[in-house]
Amino acid sequence: MTILNESGIPDVLSPLHGVNELVEKLPGAVVAVIGTRAEAYLAQSLKSALEGGSPTARRNPKTLFVVLDPAETPEGGRIASRLIAEAAGISGTRMMLLAGGRSAELIGVDIEFEARMVSRRLDIPVNTISLDPDPEFPGCLCTDLEDHALASLVELCPTGTSDRLEMPAQNPKQGGLFGSFRGRGREDTRAGQRPVVLLGSSGELEADLGRAGVEVAGSVPGQDVSALPAIGEGTLVAMTSPHLKASQAAGERGAKVVRTLIPIGIDGTARFIQDVAAAAGTEANEMGRARAAWESMEHLRNRIRGKRVFFAGDTGFEIPLARFLADAGAVVLEVGAPRLDKRFLAEEIQALGADVDVVELPDWRGQIKRADETRPDVVISSPGLYAPLVARGHLCRSARDLLDVGAHGYDGARLILELLVRTFERAETLDSISL
Amino acid sequence: MRLLRGVYEGPGSHGILRVAASMNGVHGVLRALPNEGYFHTLYNSWSRTGESPPVTLSPMWKMDSLPESTTVPGHLGRDLSGVTRRHPETETVILARSDTALLSGEEVPATSFPENSDTGLAPKLITCGWESPAVGEMEATDLALEDLVRAHAGKRERSADPTVNVFGPPIFNPGAAAEYEEAERLLALIGVEVNARVPLDASVRDLSRLPRAWANLLLYRETGESATLYLQDEFGMQRVTTPMVGSAGTGSVLRSVGDLCNLDGSKVQRVIWGELARTTKLPWYSRLATPETFQGRRVAIFGDFTYTLGLGYALAREVGFEVAPCGTYLTHLERDFLFHAHTFTEDAFVTDDPDEVANRIEESRPDLLIGTHLEGEVAEGLNIPFLPLCPPVSSHPFVQRPLMGYAGSSVLADALDRSPRRAEEKARVLPAGLPWSDEALDELEEIPAFLRGRARRLSEERARKLNAPEVTADILGDSRL
Repeated sequence: MTILNESGIPDVLSPLHGVNELVEKLPGAVVAVIGTRAEAYLAQSLKSALEGGSPTARRNPKTLFVVLDPAETPEGGRIASRLIAEAAGISGTRMMLLAGGRSAELIGVDIEFEARMVSRRLDIPVNTISLDPDPEFPGCLCTDLEDHALASLVELCPTGTSDRLEMPAQNPKQGGLFGSFRGRGREDTRAGQRPVVLLGSSGELEADLGRAGVEVAGSVPGQDVSALPAIGEGTLVAMTSPHLKASQAAGERGAKVVRTLIPIGIDGTARFIQDVAAAAGTEANEMGRARAAWESMEHLRNRIRGKRVFFAGDTGFEIPLARFLADAGAVVLEVGAPRLDKRFLAEEIQALGADVDVVELPDWRGQIKRADETRPDVVISSPGLYAPLVARGHLCRSARDLLDVGAHGYDGARLILELLVRTFERAETLDSISL
Repeated sequence: MRLLRGVYEGPGSHGILRVAASMNGVHGVLRALPNEGYFHTLYNSWSRTGESPPVTLSPMWKMDSLPESTTVPGHLGRDLSGVTRRHPETETVILARSDTALLSGEEVPATSFPENSDTGLAPKLITCGWESPAVGEMEATDLALEDLVRAHAGKRERSADPTVNVFGPPIFNPGAAAEYEEAERLLALIGVEVNARVPLDASVRDLSRLPRAWANLLLYRETGESATLYLQDEFGMQRVTTPMVGSAGTGSVLRSVGDLCNLDGSKVQRVIWGELARTTKLPWYSRLATPETFQGRRVAIFGDFTYTLGLGYALAREVGFEVAPCGTYLTHLERDFLFHAHTFTEDAFVTDDPDEVANRIEESRPDLLIGTHLEGEVAEGLNIPFLPLCPPVSSHPFVQRPLMGYAGSSVLADALDRSPRRAEEKARVLPAGLPWSDEALDELEEIPAFLRGRARRLSEERARKLNAPEVTADILGDSRL
């Protein structure tokens, strides 16, 4: 595996496109985007660009845009009082998230302060979401908003109970190691386990972990925004998505973030369950489960084996997805990573096969050029490259589609393979028509 | 500070990029945060050609945290000069700065480009110094086009035969290319050649040859206003500004062009009669319908400047609708808009808040609504037919159809032909409204305007189901989304 930094301009869709999706994913939450016309426009227009076709774009009444006048700094608390008045007209508001970035800051809005005001008056949890990319680190991902929203939710979680606080003191050396523990003492019962909280989309992972004997205290965002699990000293946090900011937020609360693979693909899920179980103080052996899962997918693998896949996506899930497809027998030609935090993704990078190349900060023109040269069987692409690649005769799938099928866990692995097989089958059908 | 549930226009930088991506040989550089990239995605969903747009992102990030020798893009000066290296066909680079970039007060570094080895010319840089977060998308298309015309248009001999320049809509307007084609077809019929189409598919060379033409035909005032005024002041070129919507509007445009090009008026009129007989169906549609069809029928129109006014004229005069209310979101054209709109409606207004638009439309209880994609839900709530004919719309058709010219008037007739009848059918099944308790009315007021119509309808349906004499706050609460 080699990592090449191309120092290019990657095609990354503005994370603001995800505002509507975020509102839909968090029932009971109102999201207010605070900025200039630009933020409101991106949040609104990219949705219909991605979905396409619909003559009218449906708006969600729970998405609000606070459009600031660039020449005038609103008095502290004015935004809050407008939001409070507006929230009265929205039924079932149980939480509010204020999203703002550099533009609001430059105009002189203190979003944290407004959030505190709203929270005090409405007596509901309110927090802020940063729209800014990490200034220290070039690159951004189209899932950044989801990441930052998750981090914001972590901050809203209760800190946890005192008996849980004592847990790390009892087992100071626990956690942090991967693989199954051998020779653990008998006193390690389920009652002595540390509670595990899943961060990111969880799907069936909760059930899978439960089957492995791990007590899952909850997941964020989970089903109900008003019943967030406790995250504090001693909580074990397992990341189901490669969301850096959310993992940092959990770490800042004193929670222990399990260092393991993202539960995508069969081996990824197995490693994830084993590592989380080990960190929680129990032992899980997923070998049998993983083998059975691989066997049940043999017919799908046969269709994928030897297919050449080029990753040019912008979601941040490219490395775990590539790792899985390589395991499933596909030939991964290149994995583009618009942002690559090598420390955060260390486990994933190590697990990536030896002959897979990762391109950091890929240039989108370079990606098209290399795809033309290597003629992959399928390109997993960002939305900006999709049409140009299809026009050049490549078979394309949007990176977002792979995540939208529910890519997590054993079942997700099957769904990913099925999606790709469907893609190949449709292309074959279309190719067989004589035009 | 305002709280909105939608915006009609994007930021000024988007307008500049729309003009740049409409043309050939012009490359837009968007200076913005790395998470403000979007243009390729939007362009793909509109153009459907698979071409990449001539737009480059120059991401703003903390360069001083990177090593000195870094080649990571982000240095504006280097990114600008990189454009001509990567895209040697570029003749003009135009800089668009996102609102964040403008607010940050970043200076534009002095940049000069090396000569192109093929043409021997150095590309020009247009920095759009007027840009500010207060300038919206459409105003920016206008100002950017003016800058481009100023930079390139030069003194030229008038063409021997009569020619005109067509100033039409930029990309991302529905049916933009079809509008130019229809205008070109009609001009050819009266014997006038098109010197240049601007900005769609115009090359830098076209811009330099603009003063060859005898006159400028301004199809889309939003984008061509300043550029044609500049040409008028600088080169004495007259312009035709009547919206070319509807049969009467189109006829008037052709006659004006004929006058400016010294054509034989009777010949132009013969062409118009020919088209009235063959192509345009709107007068035919109006004559076939009984007077009762449109009597007391009210149409609400909301949108940009040209289409809104053009449709207002055509529907009020040629079809016989009562047009009320009629509004635009283009606040910078407020005075002009109100002046023109008052010729056919009492109720003209200007606002860019979709909730206020929804309120206005609700109050007037129209039978038909013509608007942008943000009005779709309002029509749904009021249960009236809706025609998304004014930009911005969110559908991206593969086949473009004009709304201007004679062909466009037939497209309009088709759209109308289906909608009033649909309204009648619906009106029959809808029983009269139920009374509402004061409390319920207060609560209804709190619901976002664009959902209010739907909430009202659902509550009344529910009250009927429960055999309640009036709609109470509880019933409203139960039937809410």
